[in-house]
Amino acid sequence: MKESVVSAKKPIKTVIGPIHPALKEPIKFIFEIDGEKVIKVDLAPGHNHRGLEWMATRRNAVQTLYVSERICGICSISHSIAYCRAIEQAADIEVPVRADYLRTIFAEMERIHSHLLWAGVAALELGFDTLFYKAWEVREDLMDLLEYLTGNRVNYGVLQIGGVRRDITPDQHARINKSLLNYTILFDELYDMFLEDTVLRMRCRDTGVLTPEDALKLCTVGPVIRASGIATDVRQDFPYCAYGDLDIKAITPEALAGEVHGDVFDRIIVRLLEVKQSIEIIQQSMKKMPIGPLTNFPKLMVLLNHIKQAEGEGIGRHEAPRGEVFHYIRLAANQESPLVWKVKASTYSNAMSWVKMLEGEQIADIPIIVASVDPCISCTDRVAMVDKGRTSIFTQDDLRRLSRKKTERIRQGLK
Amino acid sequence: MFRLPMVPRVLKQLFNKPATNPFPARHLPKSITRFLEKVAAGKAELVLPLEVPEGFRGKIGYNPEGCTACSLCARVCPANAIEVNREEKTVTVYAGHCIQCGQCTEVCPKNNLFMTKEFLTATTDRYSEEMVLT
Amino acid sequence: MTEIFLKLIIGVVSMTALGIVGGFIIQGVDRKLAALMQARIGPLLRQPWWDFLKLMRKENVVPEHAVPWVYNAAPIMAFASVITIFLYLPFAGFNPLMEGYGDLILIMYLLAMPALAMVFGGFASGSPYATIGAQREMVTMIGYELPLGAIVISFAWKMAQSGLAHPFSLKTIAANPIWNLVGPFGIIGFILLLLAMIVVTPAELSKGPFDAPEAKSELAEGLLVEYSGRNLAMFYLALGAKMIAMLGLTVALFFPYTISQYFQVDTTVKIVIEVLFYIIKIFLVMFVSVTLMRVSMARFRITQIVEIYWKLGGTMTFLGLFLIMLDGKL
Repeated sequence: MKESVVSAKKPIKTVIGPIHPALKEPIKFIFEIDGEKVIKVDLAPGHNHRGLEWMATRRNAVQTLYVSERICGICSISHSIAYCRAIEQAADIEVPVRADYLRTIFAEMERIHSHLLWAGVAALELGFDTLFYKAWEVREDLMDLLEYLTGNRVNYGVLQIGGVRRDITPDQHARINKSLLNYTILFDELYDMFLEDTVLRMRCRDTGVLTPEDALKLCTVGPVIRASGIATDVRQDFPYCAYGDLDIKAITPEALAGEVHGDVFDRIIVRLLEVKQSIEIIQQSMKKMPIGPLTNFPKLMVLLNHIKQAEGEGIGRHEAPRGEVFHYIRLAANQESPLVWKVKASTYSNAMSWVKMLEGEQIADIPIIVASVDPCISCTDRVAMVDKGRTSIFTQDDLRRLSRKKTERIRQGLK
Repeated sequence: MFRLPMVPRVLKQLFNKPATNPFPARHLPKSITRFLEKVAAGKAELVLPLEVPEGFRGKIGYNPEGCTACSLCARVCPANAIEVNREEKTVTVYAGHCIQCGQCTEVCPKNNLFMTKEFLTATTDRYSEEMVLT
Repeated sequence: MTEIFLKLIIGVVSMTALGIVGGFIIQGVDRKLAALMQARIGPLLRQPWWDFLKLMRKENVVPEHAVPWVYNAAPIMAFASVITIFLYLPFAGFNPLMEGYGDLILIMYLLAMPALAMVFGGFASGSPYATIGAQREMVTMIGYELPLGAIVISFAWKMAQSGLAHPFSLKTIAANPIWNLVGPFGIIGFILLLLAMIVVTPAELSKGPFDAPEAKSELAEGLLVEYSGRNLAMFYLALGAKMIAMLGLTVALFFPYTISQYFQVDTTVKIVIEVLFYIIKIFLVMFVSVTLMRVSMARFRITQIVEIYWKLGGTMTFLGLFLIMLDGKL
């Protein structure tokens, strides 16, 4: 907390963060407030840079897979799917159909638990502890299911380049069906608790509005742009894994209310409906999943040698629970580790929408508006600028110049 | 209309069992070690943690018999937690560094590495005897 | 004169003890019940006592930008004013200690004192969070004083209209349970007033959903953000005691019934029965107006709090008052 200046004319300058109960991860917001109203917003990320991309250049592709899982504890399947797809494209690796279906099932399970986690956090930011406990209690069954299928509650370690590591055996179907049935029942209860509550509606309706124009201009992704009424979804627009075979339609709040406000309440609606959609996707995939091998590279050393020989670049996209994640990989021949690994997490695209959402709102709504994006700061922080101990502000031109320089270096093989 | 769907739910929950699994005891004992001593003496009862499922990836286990130090495990370990001792034909696994991905257990040709179901591995010394497997 | 002073000293000492112990118990019960409703196990009943002990052992930090004497005086002022309320409140059918020296109006003002002390403490902390919290606390006070005042006036009007002497005196109100004095319209009116009282209680006690001044996730405990150690412990004591005072007021106004006259036993047992009955009444009122309210709702915005108290609370209390007057004229 920096010093504040209280006077009749000047608005108070308040800093929220980097550490604050409303924020689950370190990011700094600088507000100018007048009474209860927010006038100006500025944000300063960069407190959580871990240098993961650098780590990748000192590890081989299989080792990096587990680094990619740890970019984010919640989207660990999402990042590893994007990473695997990038490597598979670069090294020309075919994925068996069954593996694609299994990836889809795990990714959708992750979406359910991520959205439920978010719902709980949102309730907590609204000061509604009971709903927070309830949402996380509901989520627990899915965590148990994921533990049962993959061997761990988070960081499932179930993906492999060129396929998956674990199969869903027929005797596991009963347990999955039980959970899915349970969730179809619980969904109605969640629907009632979140969307029928008057106090919740009073707090969330018309708070943190993001117009469709702004949403498009700021390149927001995931539930944030869908809640503004624009039906984009990587799963629908550019199908991958098994999504092409399945019946998927991007969800906008129109599906429920028939109108779009683009506010926090619409973001709750979109995420809740996506939970239901995910249940249906898992049910569809379980039915359609063909019998077949899990990977075309049963021997890991063969896979590693294949990637070592390969040369080229690849991209992987995945619709994570929070929005699109994007991985870029460049492989060089006779080199075990990737030359470049670039990760763009979903919050990176959504961060600037905070400014539009927060301006003109009340202080009381800051936590819920910040949370409504479902931010993942540790995913986002990819860069730490250190200049002889000083950090400085970079303009758009500076950044463009820097990124052109980097691209040139990548072209020459990072000499 | 003013609707509070939570009110009937919390009133119902008041008479239901709490969802918490009270591990290791209903309320946190003042000292865990003293509590465990009491449990050993039969004076207190330990509430067990939930069962872990089949295929759970807990603390790593290592059986040095028949190990050829082929170093495949060290090559795929993302945390570089495995050290190969070529002369003794064994490896040293630092469980404190291990991230429990289970990749080494799959790649090991002799199945000398395996995942146990143990998950209570918190310790103050990550290089203590039970955390370094040889 | 000396008798009065002696009575006062004994009263203050015993009421302080009652306020501290009662505050711990009622906070413990509230926390346990809230936990059970949220499917948790919750803390032990004596947890507030342990919290207090722990706070007393901690360092008492005075921030650099604070005004030290206001900052340090605020917790004592809050606690002292709550204890003063106790001297004027009837407990378990006994007459208030300072009976005849103060009435309902005084209690209303004394109830505002701890909140004012917190506002002073918040402003004196010199932290922007505390400043915003203090501003919100003042706005909340302006909000709930309207329905609270209307409730007090309704009671006094009914008492005066029934031809009783000292209509503002709590002794009169306690001796004549309000439900016995009015007809069907009046009963509806007083039910409305009771509902308004239930809605006012959480704001008086800075509990959810009206805890915007302290708002954990927005202001990081708002006006208490800089407080620590002994000062914070003092505020906790004051809040616990204030909870008893506020609930005691609700009980004294709406449920002043006694049951010991139905038992054929000697005086000591009668007192025990009366005290137990009073505790049950306090816990019932607490469950509805504090625990249930805070577990079943999301926190309101400060603008919504004022809107609720003025529009909803104002309408309810004035409608109640109108019905009571109508009942009196019939």
